[in-house]
Amino acid sequence: MGIQEQYRNEAAALLSSGEVKLVIGFGAGSTADRRRPLFARTPEQAQKFVLDAACIANLSTYLVAEGLLSDGKKVGVFLKPDGIRSVNILISEAQLKPEQVVILGYAIENGKEVTPLEGRNISDFSIGEKIRKLTPPPHVIEAAEKIEAMSPAERFEFWKEHFSKCIKCYACRQVCPMCYCRRCIVDVNQPQWVSTSSHTLGNFEWNLVRAFHLAGRCAACGACDRACPVNIPLRLVNYRMGKEVRSAFNYVAGENSDQKPVLASFKQDDPETFIL
Amino acid sequence: MTRILLRNKLDDCLAAWQKAGFSVLAPVKRHEMSTFGEVQKASDMALDLVLTERTIKDHFFPQTEPLIKYKIGKHQIDSETMTPPERKRVFFGVRPCDASGLAIDDPLFGWDYKDDYWFRRRDNSVIVTIACSQADDFCMCTSVKLSPDSSKGADVLLRPLSDGSGWQVEAVSDRGTALLETISSLLQESSAETAPLPQVAEKFDVEKVMEWLADPASFESQFWKDISLRCVGCGSCTFLCPTCHCFDIQDEGDTYQGIRRKNWDSCSFPLFTMHTSGNNPRNTQSTRWRQRIMHKFNYYRGKFGVNSCSGCGRCTRQCPVDMGITETLQAISNLPR
Ligand code: SF4
Ligand code: SF4
Ligand code: SF4
Ligand code: SF4
Repeated sequence: MGIQEQYRNEAAALLSSGEVKLVIGFGAGSTADRRRPLFARTPEQAQKFVLDAACIANLSTYLVAEGLLSDGKKVGVFLKPDGIRSVNILISEAQLKPEQVVILGYAIENGKEVTPLEGRNISDFSIGEKIRKLTPPPHVIEAAEKIEAMSPAERFEFWKEHFSKCIKCYACRQVCPMCYCRRCIVDVNQPQWVSTSSHTLGNFEWNLVRAFHLAGRCAACGACDRACPVNIPLRLVNYRMGKEVRSAFNYVAGENSDQKPVLASFKQDDPETFIL
Repeated sequence: MTRILLRNKLDDCLAAWQKAGFSVLAPVKRHEMSTFGEVQKASDMALDLVLTERTIKDHFFPQTEPLIKYKIGKHQIDSETMTPPERKRVFFGVRPCDASGLAIDDPLFGWDYKDDYWFRRRDNSVIVTIACSQADDFCMCTSVKLSPDSSKGADVLLRPLSDGSGWQVEAVSDRGTALLETISSLLQESSAETAPLPQVAEKFDVEKVMEWLADPASFESQFWKDISLRCVGCGSCTFLCPTCHCFDIQDEGDTYQGIRRKNWDSCSFPLFTMHTSGNNPRNTQSTRWRQRIMHKFNYYRGKFGVNSCSGCGRCTRQCPVDMGITETLQAISNLPR
């Protein structure tokens, strides 16, 4: 039995036993190479699930949809390690109750082979060590190093060119599991904190606010990067922020669900090298 | 015999238009994105794209636009209107769906109030459409009763020759005729054949869709909830759409001085309909999605006699969760009745 069939059956069993009220997985998309989020509430709907190497989206973003978990019932969700990592972060930030999430974990090897992950509760997945060792794909590191080697003026130009394209659609925010604020600061208009205009200044404000707010919280799933309709290399921003947090605090987001959020905790021996 | 423009005359053509005082905008690739941008020579153009990621709408209705500057003093209020410059522009290589988008939006911007910002740019622009020779899985112009060689919204229509050497040229408006006069010496008579049009299958029955939407019973249908479950409410489908036109007016600065701007807004955002009381009449994504479809295929048609969609397919092509309107319209047209 292939993993797709196995997970279809498992999702169907979870639904028919009433253990979960909903399973979030993938279905066929509008073209042969696309997959789309699919929500199954009945065992029959679960038979429509697709699970293959094209299932790269991080579905954990739906777990923080307003009202989804407020009834205390359980939800099943198909997740890769980066999705499991996001769930760890969400739990540590008190956005999720671990017992409400049943994880149908899978990994994609070499971009081709899909293998099941053992365990169904978040505590079953000890992904911490893996995450520590995880490095982004070589082309990302290469692109990041190129930017790091630039002079501040060149670097500013680089980001200015990219950020000036931003149309403030907020797709990067909407697909990000870590962007769960019920009211994002850019939507606060009494008073208006951040300009809504997508001129270069307004775009810098938005992209920098988001970068700072995601520092030490990003699961490196790449959803924002893939969603950006104007192809701003957002993952380079997240990568750099993750690196900063790691070198300053030896902190890697989402290693486990007991971590204290780095921006919301204080240790007496925190280095203060960057505080003037 | 028809007139043709050879590809190798494109540089001369650009020079002639520049000499006549036009800026020329064409599809370009810049910073890993395709859009319409100013070009100096033919080699700056990316004419082989199915469609640019961004639409030409951006050059008529920019994502942010200063309207007035204001200054409020103790005894007096100063304000200055910031109208866009009257600049003559040629848009070269526009796709039929994008050119139609402009024509679809004209009645909106000229309805009860003539939007000077839109028409200053429209009246000074000449649209040179190139009929499509390729389409992708998302194109759906034929479903909204347009076609890969539609001249709607165009001033000049070019049809690619089958040998790829150039285009057959046809003026479709007075403005187009005038533009062609500036390059008359570069055009030649020929009977060369034009390339076949790409096949764009009809994906839904738009008449059926409109009929269902017009039925008051459809408004509260469970259909909206089911189809929009996965929509994450980013506005990219609206911002990349050549016909979406909603905007918000914002004052940037403070009470005493600043700039009033017109910024794109989107029915996909919860804030769009949020009342100051805190009540939101469209407080779920399904009601917002319903609005988007209703607006395009029911209300807009009722008011202006045309659907607010030109079938470019960008909303599906770019949607991070593979939604877009095609699937919704397909599902509606397949509903049992
Ligand atoms: S910031 Fe981007 S990469 Fe990081 S968790 Fe959010 S969507 Fe994923
Ligand atoms: S997805 Fe891209 S264009 Fe949209 S707001 Fe984010 S950075 Fe800007
Ligand atoms: S349909 Fe897609 S692009 Fe449009 S708002 Fe929803 S998620 Fe965003
Ligand atoms: S609704 Fe979609 S297909 Fe229609 S014009 Fe807009 S982006 Fe194109």
